[in-house]
Amino acid sequence: MFKYRRGILALILALCILPLSGCGGDASADPEQSGQEPVTFTLGDVSFSAEHDETDVNPHRGYSGWACIRYGVGETLFRYSDTMEIQPWLATGYTLIDPLTWEITLRQDVRFTSGRALDAQAVKECLEHLVEVHDRARGDLMIDTMEAEGQTLTIRTTQPRPALLNYLSDPYGCIIDMAWGISEEGIVSGTGPYQAVSLVTGQELHLVKNKDYWGGEPQVDEITVLTISDGNTLTMALQSGQIDAAYGMPYASYPLFENEGYTFSSTPTSRAFFLCMNFESPLTQDPAVRQAIATAIDKEGFVNTLLEGNGYVASGAFPEEFSFGGGVTPQAYDPQGAREVLEAAGWVDSDGDGIREKDGKNLVIRWLTYPSRQELPLLAESAQAALGEIGIDVEINSTADCSSYLSDPGSWDVYASAMITAPTGDPEYFFASCCLDSSVANHGGYHSDRLEQLAQEMAAAFESGERSRLAVEMQQILLEDNAYVFCSHLRMSMISRAGVTGLTAHPCDFYELTADLRVEEP
Amino acid sequence: MRGKMDKILQKRKTVKEIYFIAILALAILVLLGAAFAQYLCPYDPNAQDLALALQPPGGEHLLGTDRYGRDMLSRIIVGAKVSVFSALTLVAAVCAVGTALGVLCGFCGGWLDEAVMRLCDMCLAFPGLVLALAVAALLGGGIENAAIALGVVSWPKYARLARGQTMTLKQEDFIAAARLAGDSAGQLIRRHILPNLAGPVLVMAALDIGTMMMELAGLSFLGLGALPPTAEWGSMMSDGRTLFQTKPWVMLGPGAAIFLTVAVFNLLADALRDRLDIRSMGNEM
Repeated sequence: MFKYRRGILALILALCILPLSGCGGDASADPEQSGQEPVTFTLGDVSFSAEHDETDVNPHRGYSGWACIRYGVGETLFRYSDTMEIQPWLATGYTLIDPLTWEITLRQDVRFTSGRALDAQAVKECLEHLVEVHDRARGDLMIDTMEAEGQTLTIRTTQPRPALLNYLSDPYGCIIDMAWGISEEGIVSGTGPYQAVSLVTGQELHLVKNKDYWGGEPQVDEITVLTISDGNTLTMALQSGQIDAAYGMPYASYPLFENEGYTFSSTPTSRAFFLCMNFESPLTQDPAVRQAIATAIDKEGFVNTLLEGNGYVASGAFPEEFSFGGGVTPQAYDPQGAREVLEAAGWVDSDGDGIREKDGKNLVIRWLTYPSRQELPLLAESAQAALGEIGIDVEINSTADCSSYLSDPGSWDVYASAMITAPTGDPEYFFASCCLDSSVANHGGYHSDRLEQLAQEMAAAFESGERSRLAVEMQQILLEDNAYVFCSHLRMSMISRAGVTGLTAHPCDFYELTADLRVEEP
Repeated sequence: MRGKMDKILQKRKTVKEIYFIAILALAILVLLGAAFAQYLCPYDPNAQDLALALQPPGGEHLLGTDRYGRDMLSRIIVGAKVSVFSALTLVAAVCAVGTALGVLCGFCGGWLDEAVMRLCDMCLAFPGLVLALAVAALLGGGIENAAIALGVVSWPKYARLARGQTMTLKQEDFIAAARLAGDSAGQLIRRHILPNLAGPVLVMAALDIGTMMMELAGLSFLGLGALPPTAEWGSMMSDGRTLFQTKPWVMLGPGAAIFLTVAVFNLLADALRDRLDIRSMGNEM
């Protein structure tokens, strides 16, 4: 009997230990070892494609930094709060030693997914490579020298750069391990909560969680980002459960998801839909034509009807909620005024065909835009009707190959596009990239002496109030010259199925997949 | 017994005749509707009124409105003009060019035949619509360019048909007799060959009208056809794609118009083939 009692005790002990064995630290971290099903998440995204210049997750290539930061692969030294204030991220703080010298201290507890510890030397190597290969970053950062010592990086700029920290928070500023390098596919080793493991451009990106993430272990084991450029396909993918969440859903599909089975996360952004006038075209060189276009477009109708309320009428380049956004006076909607301006400038419809002429030439505007932002063809067609009412004929060229046309100033008059005007939480970015003689995206060849002078003042102004004042004055110059017509700002939404939490839309449109992401079975 | 059979056959013939006339009448109705589209529209098809956007069918707008507040019925009626006449013009052009080349090849033979037939082979080696897509993308948007793109890939089948028929006809005794009677090559083609191959070519052309209409609509749907604000059924469907689940009338209206019109022209082609009795005509020749 005693013999049996020992056996029974051993059996009870074994039965008690067996369930506990599954609670070991390492085994639970690795679902394969623990035998648990990995927690997976699939995101459908319309923008992760070559058409949007996001072919991979290498932040040093074009605008691929957006994918790097959006999908939680890379992180920047500083980031934006929900109110677009700069706050430390991989850095713990900074000291402005003199107008040219910044001392940035880094976190101690961060490692790249390659295993290397993040220190000032690693950041230096990354930034050196960035300014070597990335024209926009080189122009923004104006780095002269860098010194690395432990966790302290000292950056000296060639000119005072009041917005240096903002620029370092741009997606191109994602810190990657240059010793690990950049793979042929464009995969990098960052410090984010997820690690890119495979990528097929224009199709899909696979991520796995970074178990050693400094911000705490992510709860989702595997993530797939599917590039779905067609809005209908994206809609049906979310309806069928092929994807758990969607970015870039057509507004027309929103009503399908406005029920308890789905969650919306929405936020106003500085993404502006705006027109750029071509100052090399004889037609749009005429101030009357530019003014007529600016006053004849019904922005409110565009926002309320065509954007189905998912936007805000724009008065200037920046949303009014921004400290540098309000205070500008745009051209009011006034089709009758537009007609009078054209009449006064000699544009009259003498042959009664509904199109105005001057010197025997019809007033026909070549409107260039692209279809990948679903709102732009809508804007084009609504503007076509509105301008037709005042005697301007509009020929729409909505093409994915916009860059070819933009490089030929003789092939277009008005270029309608969408961009985040203040991705860095600072107004300088928009003017520097679009409106100055030195701007890479000043497609229309616009020039204003006063604007150039104010831009120089802004480049040297460290005080935020002064920068805001300058931004308002600079926008007013653009509006008075009718060089740009700002139509609307976008309300951005991400839609996820019920059970997904932590997927939150951010005003800067950068941070999508974070360590806060949680997925429960539907 | 024979009398009964004759009666049945006569009855069938009458039914077929009525069917043909009915289908022909429908096709003529479509053509007249397309020709006088601007007079049939209840509203200006291009007039936008955002306050009336996406009104469901009924009331003042029988087929509803699109997202710009334009009347769908008016746009579908006006769209018929673009969709139907573009397809008809295209078919007429490819039929004329293809048949002319085919007859010349079949009649003359030699290097011309070799060169044109190899060109046909090249065109036929590509999937038609894919090649048309490439050509349309190269030429740029616009319904004219879309028609040219489809024309480039559609003429070879007419050339092959006409060549085959011409080569067969060339061997016939009546051609030899006409030749002996002193007819020139041009006269032979005009008086004897063209009238004899007109039947099969006509049936092929009639069958092609529906196909061309679908393909033109397909190119427009993909953004390579009609440009805004032109009302064209394919581009109207494309505009309504994102609304398919929430405001289906924007897509269903032009979709139904394409379906019905293509069906009418396909049925007409079938009836025409039966009426011309192409198979037996070939045997008689």
